[in-house]
Amino acid sequence: MVAGSNPGARFRGVGRGGNPRPQCGVAWLKGAAAARVAAAAALLVAAAAPAVAGPQAEISGLSDLAFGTVTSLASDAVRTESICVFSNTKTNGYSVTASGTGTGGAFTLASGAFRLGYDVEWSDLSGQTTGTLLSPNTALTGLTSSATVATCNKGPATSASLIVVLRAASLSSARAGSYSGTLTLLITPQ
Amino acid sequence: MILVRKGRALAACALLAIFASGAAQAATQGTLGATSTGTVTISATIPSRVQISGLSDFVFGTLDPTTDTSLSKNVCVWSNTGTKGYNITATGNGGVSGTAFTLTNGSKTLDYGVEWAGSTGQASGTALATGTAANGFTSTATAPTCGSGPTPTASLIVRFTSAQMLAAVGTTAFTGTLTLVVAPE
Repeated sequence: MVAGSNPGARFRGVGRGGNPRPQCGVAWLKGAAAARVAAAAALLVAAAAPAVAGPQAEISGLSDLAFGTVTSLASDAVRTESICVFSNTKTNGYSVTASGTGTGGAFTLASGAFRLGYDVEWSDLSGQTTGTLLSPNTALTGLTSSATVATCNKGPATSASLIVVLRAASLSSARAGSYSGTLTLLITPQ
Repeated sequence: MILVRKGRALAACALLAIFASGAAQAATQGTLGATSTGTVTISATIPSRVQISGLSDFVFGTLDPTTDTSLSKNVCVWSNTGTKGYNITATGNGGVSGTAFTLTNGSKTLDYGVEWAGSTGQASGTALATGTAANGFTSTATAPTCGSGPTPTASLIVRFTSAQMLAAVGTTAFTGTLTLVVAPE
């Protein structure tokens, strides 16, 4: 409702002074009054329209991946975690784009000036130890979430798997040291 | 009494806060939106490691005791330290101690010398003493068994002097084992 207006009375055809106005709508009004009524009508229409939520997604349940001391440099070291990805689109579809802290978003960990490359894999199922290999800054599309609510506090507790692999080739060519880096995951509803 | 209970409650809250902060992860969670972004921190520690490979037996055949002789072989030593440094300790299996650089044919012994060079193709190097580390070597290897990059990286030299051979003339072959231990530096 717009303060100072009385659209109900006017639409009933009662003008100032109580004179009957046979016309319908606002055609009989002039100038600023007509504009105010039109604006009020527009607001009423907007308020009456059902709210339409745009495509939305959420990633949660993430925790850090600590490999600790990698005792064998001759074999791959793998860490996985099941996480929650929610998408409210009709198909529950989404894409994931990963980027690391290396040059150009490369998947590399750093220990001072030394670098250690790693692989990132993704699965739209939880509890997986392998998935689709991701490339930095490149969206992996066509994924579907089984989450029924954001943060997965109802329905499946997790809906996707994040897999990080330190390849033997990388481990054996890296210098000794403590490495760390940040992996950023961008979820886009589809 | 109430004060005591309040104190306990405060202590419990403090403990909860400590546990909560200790359990906090550096990972960040996304929020519901047109896109959602989360982050995880990945960490790993690679310990110092070395590897020696590419070793083969030294076979001198029949020696001429009037002339010093030696054999040099290229080997691969890999080190992953920041400097790719390493030290090497050689130990024989002869003599009374069982660690001397000495061969035996069952009745006689033949002493020998061991040298090490940190590069390939060397005919001489740093003389090693059994059981004592020689420090300060640097590897050029980029892979543990030199499967890529420089193939061998160092030289192992075994040497007989004329005096050693003259002291051990015999018709039966002399044999022994040389053990090489490499450690990262």
